Amino acid sequence: MRFEKFVQPENLKTALDILKKDSNSVILGGTTFLRLSDNRYSTGIDLSNLKLDFIKENDHQIEIGAYTSLRTIETDPVINKYFGNLLPKSLENLIGIQFRNNATIGGAIFSRLGFSEIITALLVLDCELEFEENGKIAFNKFISNWNIKRDILTKIIIKKKKGKSSYKMLRNSSADFTILSVAVSNFDSIKIAVGTRPSIAKLSQKAAQLKISDNSKIDEAAKLIAKEFNFGDDLRAKSDYRKKIAPVIVRRALQEVLK
Amino acid sequence: MILKLNINNKFYNTNIESDESLLVVLRHLGFKSVKKGCDTGTCGVCSVLIDGKPRLSCQFLAARAQGHKITTVEGLGKKADAIIDAIVNEGADQCGYCGPSLVLTTYAMKKELKDPTVNKIKHYLAGNLCRCSGYEGQLRGIKKYMGVK
Repeated sequence: MRFEKFVQPENLKTALDILKKDSNSVILGGTTFLRLSDNRYSTGIDLSNLKLDFIKENDHQIEIGAYTSLRTIETDPVINKYFGNLLPKSLENLIGIQFRNNATIGGAIFSRLGFSEIITALLVLDCELEFEENGKIAFNKFISNWNIKRDILTKIIIKKKKGKSSYKMLRNSSADFTILSVAVSNFDSIKIAVGTRPSIAKLSQKAAQLKISDNSKIDEAAKLIAKEFNFGDDLRAKSDYRKKIAPVIVRRALQEVLK
Repeated sequence: MILKLNINNKFYNTNIESDESLLVVLRHLGFKSVKKGCDTGTCGVCSVLIDGKPRLSCQFLAARAQGHKITTVEGLGKKADAIIDAIVNEGADQCGYCGPSLVLTTYAMKKELKDPTVNKIKHYLAGNLCRCSGYEGQLRGIKKYMGVK
């Protein structure tokens, strides 16, 4: 990743102006792609002085600033108190602590990467994103909409809900990217997300209609959900393999939530 | 662009490219304990402490480092001795390439983990790859240093 100019705007409005005026500028997140990407930009816009690194809580919701590091989220007592450790579990195996201290939640979301585990986990929560220009957008809507490109994500808002959740995945080695990731929650209704297919995580449309009266039905439900998704190949696994393991991982996550 | 960096409690003025990594700048300034390994954010040998937290300097923009406190293993001085002794006493310092980052990360871990266990140590050090694969010896030494049986 190369850029000719590095700027640190004094406020979000100025940052958005630069982003809008210069179509070859980029908002810098955790810059974890600094040496991995060949993209060239005219201007790198750094927001690290704009106090977007925070986790706040009120009676109804938790707000996470876009510049909050993944490691901060993983270890924060407020986040750990809610959602059955869903978010920390989706982060704890990502490369190493030094990487997660650099990577930001805003960068992880805005890039909409297929291997992002936190996207799988956030999909099953009641979650909204706040942008400088577009205002609030439902997380699920943003993930499936690639039209929002020239805006600044400022915070992630997660509604506090009572209920259970589970995060399961399969990976070849402890710090590698996953072969498949699954998140399940049961707050108002059952939500199931499947990620690293290897394309970006998606929510199941059938999950909300699931009626699981006893344990014997879980296996059947998991197979039904897994069938709903398309799977592809990458260097970690073939689509056939993903198809085989998807119902197993969905079943394990469902069992944890429904037990 | 010209930067003023606080490295090991000393200030350095340096001229950098706007997209240069902290790793490159530190090595240019003579901090050769900061190693260049994969250079893509995977191996951990370029780790330094930024405001006390271990971070990969290969993916940290030098331009962002101004105003922060950077610590390399040279900056730990005597504080590193107990960690180095623990690793060396187990014969775990093999080629030495991953040593400085391992010492820095262990130093940060000791400060951060209130109730260390073997699993917590392994988890904390998962991002420190050793090309000699000397993990068992390293773990034995670091367990002793952390007071974990």
